Amino acid sequence: MADESPGSARLPQPPAAAESDAAGTIWMPRRDWLARITWWGFLGSLAAMSGASFRLLYPRVTFDPPATFKAGHPDEYAIGAVSERWKKRHRVWIVRTAEGFFALSAKCTHLGCTPNWIETEGKFKCPCHGSGFDQSGVNFEGPAPRPLERLRIALADDGQLLVDRSRGFRQEAGEWDRPEAFLRFAG
Amino acid sequence: MSLPRPSLMLTRLKVSATWRSVFRHGYEDTRRNRLLQTSSNVFLHLHPTTTPASGLRFSYTWGLGGLSLLLFVVLTLTGVLLMFYYVPDTRRAYDDMKDIEHVVPFGQFLRNLHRWAAHAMVITVWLHMLRVFLTSSYKPPREFNWGVGVLLLVLTLLLSFSGYLLPWDQIAFWAITVGTNMATATPFLGAEGPFSVVTYDNDLRFLILGSRFVGQSALLRFYVLHCLALPLAAAVFMAVHFWRVRKDKFSAKPTPAPSQVAAEAIAEAPAAAGRAAAGSASPQPDRAAPPPRSVDVWPHLVAIEFLAMLVALLALQAWSLWVDAPLEEVASPTNTPNPAKAPWYFMGLQEMLVYFDPWLAGVVLPGLIIAGLILLPYLDPNPAGVGLYTLRRRRYAVSAFLLGFFLWVGLILVGQFFRGPGWIWYWPWESWEVHKPAYEKTWNFPWPLGLAAIAGYVALGLYAPRRLRPEVFGTIGWGHYATLMLLVLGMLALPIKMVLRLAFDVHYVLITPWFRI
Repeated sequence: MADESPGSARLPQPPAAAESDAAGTIWMPRRDWLARITWWGFLGSLAAMSGASFRLLYPRVTFDPPATFKAGHPDEYAIGAVSERWKKRHRVWIVRTAEGFFALSAKCTHLGCTPNWIETEGKFKCPCHGSGFDQSGVNFEGPAPRPLERLRIALADDGQLLVDRSRGFRQEAGEWDRPEAFLRFAG
Repeated sequence: MSLPRPSLMLTRLKVSATWRSVFRHGYEDTRRNRLLQTSSNVFLHLHPTTTPASGLRFSYTWGLGGLSLLLFVVLTLTGVLLMFYYVPDTRRAYDDMKDIEHVVPFGQFLRNLHRWAAHAMVITVWLHMLRVFLTSSYKPPREFNWGVGVLLLVLTLLLSFSGYLLPWDQIAFWAITVGTNMATATPFLGAEGPFSVVTYDNDLRFLILGSRFVGQSALLRFYVLHCLALPLAAAVFMAVHFWRVRKDKFSAKPTPAPSQVAAEAIAEAPAAAGRAAAGSASPQPDRAAPPPRSVDVWPHLVAIEFLAMLVALLALQAWSLWVDAPLEEVASPTNTPNPAKAPWYFMGLQEMLVYFDPWLAGVVLPGLIIAGLILLPYLDPNPAGVGLYTLRRRRYAVSAFLLGFFLWVGLILVGQFFRGPGWIWYWPWESWEVHKPAYEKTWNFPWPLGLAAIAGYVALGLYAPRRLRPEVFGTIGWGHYATLMLLVLGMLALPIKMVLRLAFDVHYVLITPWFRI
């Protein structure tokens, strides 16, 4: 460097550049090599430590309540009605139509508040931002971007309804037509 | 043997080696002691020993930075005391709150102090930012410290937000449920966001809550963040902030020589005659003018700070004796209060959710606001107005910033006072008992029209200012100009969408299979 300041003479000079010998092998000064190993080792351990710390924040096991519950016998539900029986405990509505049953997740698809069933207007209304869903769960007003999710519903061996909250079915993905999303029942 | 007189004992004590190991200098009012009072005290030495008298006017700084620090200290002390009685366990957290209020001596008062100081700190930090903007105190060499200040504002809000969950009452539970569900809408990293690459079990919300739901692990994470991680981070950034304030000449207030004052007075006068006179006046400062009048920080500045602290503490204590911090019913995951409102300082976000989908209102727009604020000193090319409250010389910058600031305040006021059950518009004098059916028949732009509208908006916004006012917007490079304009256009998109929704019932301007705007 031609225009070095006078004080820089006391600073350690950069080591000579890597050279290659006649055989083409590239040689670098030992200091350079050690410095490079040390830096990569340091950065590598830092990255590994950060990765481990980040992974620690996602536990393998969570202690959430069990996802399935038995919801009583089919004849306990009236045709054409929305049952609020399990809303408080499991956050689920059970709706019975002439053809059968479906279970609606009582979780607004906008930001996860719990909507209320308004019998007189025949709709689910979310108190947080005013989203409205009709009795089948389809959104028709407010900011909700998609219908409520239906949950897996089946008949247990003892004849009770069985609802699985861990599996949701989305109308916009065409999943409501699946047999697990709607329990055919004529009785 | 008679005992020596007390005054003699005191004199002896003061010349003892022990005393002098603690107090390094005397207290007589000498110039030397005044300077040592500042420079030999670890807390006071954040000040310079002398400062220009012009920067001391209370109506210049309004003491807002100092008050923010004071409130942080109050929050730390009251917070530590509250920690003695509070256990972050969903089964007992709410009962602990009740115990603090009804069983612990002065518990209610301590909790009130903590809650109201937190609200006050949000306000003082906001106003501090407004003041620093209005006096151009972010301009070189203070650009970096403005960015640190923005991060401190974010940390202040996060501290408030994390503390909000701890009482484990209904408002806490649902504010955090709604707030963290927005993380689910994050593009790429949220399970429901556009272009999502994750599931509910490994997205951003899971990172924050430690589960898919607000529950025990969320309470513990928020507790640790609130009591440990965030205050530590804030303290580190505060140290940097104060250190930079000191290194960047402490006060941006210029101390012009008398001849400069006269010239500026003429230049600021609106009359054409005044402008002509300023043109003939010498722009050079008078070299013979006396140096700017500076005063010793001890006692002049320290006295003002002390007085401001006393008044603020008095007001805070009076308010805390008078008004109790609210505590609602215990949290219930199946019963959402109607309406479920966020804390007031996040009400702007919640009101934005009416006009935009969560990924925009809850993630992208707040991110743009923070990024825009940090970039602001680097984007504002106008060097004028440092240390002055002036609109005339920074017309565009001041009007854009004030528009954004008051837009935010307006959204908060609407959300706080004009929204009732179902987030439907209720006037403050209307009863929430009166049922209002939601009338909403919205329509969307067909996508070619929406695409054309947005492209036209951006193109016009990029083209027009540079074309119409080249003397203002033509002096900076294209990348610089485009960044500035896109941020301004992003801000203006909010009132435009509000008008489209409220006056024309437009739901979405652009619908694509991946996202909707």
